[in-house]
Amino acid sequence: MSAVIRPDAPVLLEIRDLHASVENQPILKGVNLTIRAGEIHAVMGRNGSGKSTLSKVLAGHPAYTVTAGSVFYRGENLLDLDPEQRSRIGLFLGFQYPVEIPGVSNLEFLRVATNARRKERGDEELDTFAFEDVVRERLSVVQMDPAFLDRSVNEGFSGGEKKRNEILQMALLEPVVAILDETDSGLDIDALRIVAGGVNQLSSPDNATLLITHYQRLLDLITPDAVHVMAAGRILRSGGKELALELERSGYDWVDAELARLDGEAERQPLEVA
Amino acid sequence: MSSTATVGDLVSQNYKYGFVTDIATDKIAKGLSEEVVRLISSMKQEPAFLLDFRLRAYRQWLQMEEPDWATLGYPPIDYQEIIYYAAPKQQQKKSSLDEVDPKLLETFEKLGIPLSEQKRLSNVAVDAVFDSVSIATTFREQLAEHGVIFCSISEAVKDHPELVERYLGTVVPTNDNYFAALNSAVFSDGSFVFIPKGVECPMELSTYFRINSGDTGQFERTLIIAEEASTVSYLEGCTAPMFDTNQLHAAVVELVALDDASIKYSTVQNWYAGDENGVGGIYNFVTKRGQCRGDRSRISWTQVETGSAITWKYPSCVLQGADSVGEFYSVALTNNRQQADTGTKMVHVGPRTRSTIVSKGISAGHSANSYRGLVQIGPKAVGARNYSQCDSMLIGDQAAANTYPYIRCQQPQSSIEHEASTCRISEDQLFYLQSRGIGFEEAVSMMVSGFCRDVFNQLPMEFAAEADKLLALKLEGSVG
Amino acid sequence: MVAAPVVTAAAAGSGAPALAWLAELAGAPLPTRRQEDWRFTDLTALAAIPVGVAAPAAGRALDPWAELNLPAGVTRLTGTAAEAQLGTALAASGCDQHWPVLLNGGARPALLVLKVEGDAGSLELPLPVSAGEGVAAWRLLLVLEPGARLELLQVPAPAPGQRQLLSLVSEVVLGEGARLQLGCLAQGHNHAALLHHLAVRQASASELQATLVSSGWGLARHEPRVVQEQGAARTRLLGLQRVDGRQLADTHSFVRFDGPDGELDQLHKAVADGSGRSVFNGAVQVPRLAQRTNAAQLSRTLLLSDRARIDTKPELEIVADDVKCAHGATVSQLQSEELFYLRSRGIDATTAAGLLQRAFCHEVLRELPAAAHRHDPMTALLGAA
Repeated sequence: MSAVIRPDAPVLLEIRDLHASVENQPILKGVNLTIRAGEIHAVMGRNGSGKSTLSKVLAGHPAYTVTAGSVFYRGENLLDLDPEQRSRIGLFLGFQYPVEIPGVSNLEFLRVATNARRKERGDEELDTFAFEDVVRERLSVVQMDPAFLDRSVNEGFSGGEKKRNEILQMALLEPVVAILDETDSGLDIDALRIVAGGVNQLSSPDNATLLITHYQRLLDLITPDAVHVMAAGRILRSGGKELALELERSGYDWVDAELARLDGEAERQPLEVA
Repeated sequence: MSSTATVGDLVSQNYKYGFVTDIATDKIAKGLSEEVVRLISSMKQEPAFLLDFRLRAYRQWLQMEEPDWATLGYPPIDYQEIIYYAAPKQQQKKSSLDEVDPKLLETFEKLGIPLSEQKRLSNVAVDAVFDSVSIATTFREQLAEHGVIFCSISEAVKDHPELVERYLGTVVPTNDNYFAALNSAVFSDGSFVFIPKGVECPMELSTYFRINSGDTGQFERTLIIAEEASTVSYLEGCTAPMFDTNQLHAAVVELVALDDASIKYSTVQNWYAGDENGVGGIYNFVTKRGQCRGDRSRISWTQVETGSAITWKYPSCVLQGADSVGEFYSVALTNNRQQADTGTKMVHVGPRTRSTIVSKGISAGHSANSYRGLVQIGPKAVGARNYSQCDSMLIGDQAAANTYPYIRCQQPQSSIEHEASTCRISEDQLFYLQSRGIGFEEAVSMMVSGFCRDVFNQLPMEFAAEADKLLALKLEGSVG
Repeated sequence: MVAAPVVTAAAAGSGAPALAWLAELAGAPLPTRRQEDWRFTDLTALAAIPVGVAAPAAGRALDPWAELNLPAGVTRLTGTAAEAQLGTALAASGCDQHWPVLLNGGARPALLVLKVEGDAGSLELPLPVSAGEGVAAWRLLLVLEPGARLELLQVPAPAPGQRQLLSLVSEVVLGEGARLQLGCLAQGHNHAALLHHLAVRQASASELQATLVSSGWGLARHEPRVVQEQGAARTRLLGLQRVDGRQLADTHSFVRFDGPDGELDQLHKAVADGSGRSVFNGAVQVPRLAQRTNAAQLSRTLLLSDRARIDTKPELEIVADDVKCAHGATVSQLQSEELFYLRSRGIDATTAAGLLQRAFCHEVLRELPAAAHRHDPMTALLGAA
């Protein structure tokens, strides 16, 4: 269903007929999506459409169970891997609600995470001093005050500060596929610009980004190559960036009609088979 | 991975100091009587005042009852089944380390406390106590140049009887409590520190306690005196072999700080805790109290308690001098069937006295971890202030965390603030760290150590890393 | 057991004979300060109460509640119907053998058992005593059927100037989804003592708000004890006690969660003036099966005199890992900055202090049932502004 934008670029992420549930409640009901190097995809949809579940499943959150389908990351079965291993090989999830971890220093956390990724890539691990130099340089990507490094992970951060801390982590971990779950929610326009600027700076022909969002306003700042509309646990329609504009104009009402039509088909199907 | 049971698995580790040193010891017959008290005193060739002190304590002890108010459960202790004095066979304390039995030196080296001149830590003086006796004290000469006395309390009784007589039992009276009375009657050895007026002790002082015998009680007595405007930082460490019986450890520590003096006392306690079924382990019944006698004096207790089958200890400060300051920073980790009932007493007597309490309890397995504290502000403590924070972290649903913070106040111009919270390692926090490439074990360890950070920050530099390592060791294990 | 006949004094005299007589009434010796629960409260002060029973002020047939107007939905039960659930809340909350409860039983209390169905609105229960000295006792049992609602105000009051010991034991059984807003406005005087137990069993989805306000008693002891029998209920406990002169007020609260998802919100405030003594002991037990309990306890004390004394002892016992339990305690005097601010606006120090004390008390008083307002609790507590 997903549009092929750069047919010659290598496939980074391939999601096939993905079904997942949480507490025995099915949420994802057959998601298909292929992401190639150099692409920016946006997944849009109403609350409860399964967008955030998709991101959590891709990152390996233990509360979600994959019941069917597959996900391949650069040819490797992603679903076999622990969350930390997924991060180390280059998958990044920017959290909608970054977690506060009192007592754990942000600087220490960033260093341990960065070194885990560096070790996986065969790069030398950074000591405290070398890492401070690296992190200070990356701070500029998100225009963050170095004072944030001395605080506990996300503790007492404002919504905007938390999201900037997420993008800082992305800048340090240099992911191959970055999934940004509602990174724009709760941001004022200045913070939004900073976050979007960071994402744009970090995207390259070798990596890919999956933006999960409600609103067009993020897509005004980051131009997607493909837009997918999610509803009831699957991707209902895919198109170019104009699809997002169309949604902005006409809303999601058509989604209900489309869903009803699909449900009807599903009901008729057994008859046809018979 | 999502279950807390796996976090629980992580907190289990094998005790690394459980070996027994095969060395001949002199022991007296087991049991306690007035004759035993006299025998201990005569073996140590003590002056009359000390024998009187012991006998008075013994007679008081006979009249007292073992306390039962703590949230602890253990079978009754038979005080006649304990050996009250054991010492490695060697006639006299040696003037040089070369003469000390190499087996003992090796023991301490295995424990990470090298005593020989080549290997010892360059800026920490160590008093090594094996069973009931101090076997070596390093850097004594260098300290003596500054007028600092650092030796075993037995030596202090011989060499500085006037100091011992003046201060012993003045902070913890012989009849203070059951275990203090017992200790006062039979104490064997321990450390003595005296910092003269105006001296800043040039290095960290440290005592390392090692229980080796299986049936011996250990009763150390430590006395630290800081004269006017002096400062000292002192650390004690403790380990014991693994036996399937329980050994009693009933120590008393007394600190005295005169005007403008400052004493920092840190403990890393890792006595054998018993096995996962609660068999064996040390009963650790300890009375520690400091008296800020002088104006503007300061006493700070920092403890990292990870061992012992039972811990019963409340390092306290009596804030007598005007503007004196008391502090208590504690991490207590219990696992398996361990029981800890620990906390502090801050007794504000003088005006504008201040105290801070930070307690972090971590309970895992089937253990019980209680914070018990008292903040008392007397009628004369005008302008006194206390701030207390006690946090508990629970790992698994079989562990108990109890909090009993008493407050007593008789002075309107004072302020007391107490905060307490309970938390666990949440699945969301674990996932967040894991999704940044940090492994499960390391994530748990980071969070536990983050939980304890306020306390670790208080430890002397040399030992902060040690404590972190100890906790990490406790958290080492296989991911289930 | 219904209604209390006037018992003549078993023995004349004062002091020790009174204590011996109280022990005999209770069938158990008085607790001593060696017992942890009575460490701060010395019951030998009850020696000042003369031997004898002061009857609850009675209407016809010696029943103080014979003429009580009950709102629709509230029925009074008597006989075996009344006795079926009597004592169950005391037993469930572990206080049936507490000395004040034993004393209450021995003092042949006036008994009132009420069944509540539907939304019964509000009820005020006067607990007056006739003149005369000695012990007066009431026992109350409230059974709220599932979904029932009631606002109840109790106003225990000693006869003016009389040396009386008031013994009040209330039991409450809250059915599923039932809601009780209970207020107890206990205004005493220096010669009177109050021993008050409130034992509550809460079924799931029930809500209890209990607001206990106490002032002026020579000795007052309140023991609200709540058990959430299946968890998943809401409990709000509010307390305000004021002592002055040589008065003593002691609140020992106890809350246990016997199932998951329970909530507790507790605020206890105390004002200690003169040579008064205020004691607060707050126990919260969260056993293993009480996962996802959310309990918060806050104790705040204003210490206004250097002869007054306060003792505060929270006791949190937790054996479940997925819980939120927080407690806090503060002791302070009136904030000098606040006082200064008011004074800089031309308000004299005494008035300013009064204003601040009123603000401190208001936070609890406003939670009393609406019926309490006609008793002007603020004035009862602090005197006229």
